[in-house]
Amino acid sequence: MAKKSLEVEVEDEGDAAQFKMPVDSDHKATEFWLFSFAKPHMRAFHLSWFSFFCCFVSSFAAPPLLPVIRDNLSLTTTDIGNAGIASVSGAVFARLAMGAACDLVGPRLASASLILITTPAVYCSSLIDSATGFLLVRFFTGFSLATFVSTQFWMSSMFSPPKVGLANGVAGGWGNMGGGATQLIMPLVYELIKKIGSTNFIAWRIAFFIPGVMQTCSAIAVLMFGQDMPDGNYNKLHKAGEKHKDNFSEVFKHAVTNYRGWILALTYGYCFGVELTIDNIIAQYFYDRFGVNISKAGTIAASFGLANIVSRPGGGLFSDYLSKFFGMRGRLWGLWVVQTLGGIFCVILGRTNSLAGSIVVLLLFSLFCQAACGLTFGVVPFVSRRSLGLISGMGGGGGNVGAVLTQLIFFHNSKYSTEDGIFYMGIMILVCTLPIALIHFPQWGGMLCGPKPGYTPEDYYQSEWSHHEQQKGYHTASLRFAENSVREGGRSARGSGHSKHTVPVETSLTDV
Amino acid sequence: MAGLRLSKITIALLLLLLIVCHVGPSMAVLFNQLPKTLIVTATTKSGDVLHAGEDKFTVTWALNTSLPSGADANYKTVKVLLCYAPISQHDRKWRKSNNDLKKDKTCQFTVVKQDYSATGKHEYTVARDIPTASYFVRAYALDASDTKVAFGQTTDANKTVNIFEVVGITGRTTGIFVSAIVFSAFSGLALAFFYVVENKKKK
Repeated sequence: MAKKSLEVEVEDEGDAAQFKMPVDSDHKATEFWLFSFAKPHMRAFHLSWFSFFCCFVSSFAAPPLLPVIRDNLSLTTTDIGNAGIASVSGAVFARLAMGAACDLVGPRLASASLILITTPAVYCSSLIDSATGFLLVRFFTGFSLATFVSTQFWMSSMFSPPKVGLANGVAGGWGNMGGGATQLIMPLVYELIKKIGSTNFIAWRIAFFIPGVMQTCSAIAVLMFGQDMPDGNYNKLHKAGEKHKDNFSEVFKHAVTNYRGWILALTYGYCFGVELTIDNIIAQYFYDRFGVNISKAGTIAASFGLANIVSRPGGGLFSDYLSKFFGMRGRLWGLWVVQTLGGIFCVILGRTNSLAGSIVVLLLFSLFCQAACGLTFGVVPFVSRRSLGLISGMGGGGGNVGAVLTQLIFFHNSKYSTEDGIFYMGIMILVCTLPIALIHFPQWGGMLCGPKPGYTPEDYYQSEWSHHEQQKGYHTASLRFAENSVREGGRSARGSGHSKHTVPVETSLTDV
Repeated sequence: MAGLRLSKITIALLLLLLIVCHVGPSMAVLFNQLPKTLIVTATTKSGDVLHAGEDKFTVTWALNTSLPSGADANYKTVKVLLCYAPISQHDRKWRKSNNDLKKDKTCQFTVVKQDYSATGKHEYTVARDIPTASYFVRAYALDASDTKVAFGQTTDANKTVNIFEVVGITGRTTGIFVSAIVFSAFSGLALAFFYVVENKKKK
């Protein structure tokens, strides 16, 4: 056993030398260099967050321009509400499909394909002339939000467990920021085009070409410069026999039978889902309730989405930090506390009557709501290794279901005033965050109970493969992941002298 | 003694000033309290359809002659507006009528604003940014501080008669049409191109 490990050690050190960044036994980066484009890890990071950002810009390009669009198309409140729901419902299933696609063909092809297929919907937004057209373009454009799953999958493939929360958080956060940036970009482009001499009803149509072109270019960049895994693209790895091409029904089975995936799907609906809802309604809310003009309303709305630049990564960082001292139990407690605080600020926002007060509360709400998103995806990578893509897809899809539900119940018709809708949405957040207490990892514990004695990460991840599959060695990637996630047991689980650049040899020797 | 009385009076006056200043500017102008002293007519008939940017109509306003003279003493300006009919306000909170004229969103487009005279008329070409909807015309008389003091409109109190329609521009120019098709086709072709390259790599 020791000899074999030594052989592995020599091999890995030789391979590891080809990477600019320090890597673990899986060749995943153990550090995160934000301002670097080092191949392939940081390059994958920048490609994935930026392409996801562009999808967010497109999906939420309409809301800040609604004061013009609603007059051009003669839309009613119900029409606008329906389109808002449509914009986030397409991605519910698209995210699940994306999860499966990542597991099967890799994040590079999966994400770029989806992005290029949805760009025509963005360009054709400039051609609509009815409520139905509006609903359809928002529906199809919204499919592109499934690229969230590919970013999380890609980051989980490129970054080691101690850094995966941060990588996921920054990629997700900087992408989500697109929902805020668009509230600034679109009114700006619109005003510029109007100044050049266009009428309002022509200007907004031309403005939609900006998000369209951004999306097309980012997808092409992903295809040209991206790489699925540290060691290469899926088709190359499949050919070389280094990566076993998994079976869809097995991947599916192990995802849907894992209750943790379902709970995280629900709770993600009440941080990310709420974030999407706010992206859809907040510009109009400030425009109509406080009488500010389109540009001002857009700026305020933008501040919500732009907070993502630090809030979501902050959540991911906080998750990794808690894990250092308290392991997975810390990650779960952090998630519950932060998301509950988000709910409290949402309740307060619905009851704030002044413009200045609303802006302050909105910012606080955005910080906690988005940090909770980052904390969620500090937990998701550990739920399953075999079905990582599909579990990420379920979580992501659940986020969109939350957005559909909250818009349907509170903002769809004239039943509740928008401020009451926000208040009740806050209450719903508080209730739907409680199930986090039910998540329990037998190897690490949960919020309320400790781990099962003697149960190791290897046991957990190995249980996803049948004996037959294990004999064939299909599960080796899962085993490597298990070894690298030893730290999730908290301080007590870590061996002494555990170096940052983890190689299996050291840990197995000290553990024995 | 006198000094104390003086300061008491000063305080009382200051308080009065404070109350007046607080109440004055924030006193809302309510629509149902505005006198309907202007008679407003337009050349549009009930059910007419006007095209934005092309069609015109003429609006005429005059002070109701049966009023005592001096009724228009404080009228300084006349503002004529295009206002949404109830059918175009339905399920659209941003066009809602409100008795408090500061919050009222019924009339969003200015036809003309000019100095007040007992009679006046104006030929108006429907602007290119007027949306498709049903409208009537209303004129407000404003005093020197730009506060609404009287009004008149082409329709009745229930806003059901003399309602005409405007068909707004679509905004879809040929240039936009062609660009959308070209850019969409390019995206599809780019995807196809990369798939071909990937398949070649596989072999």
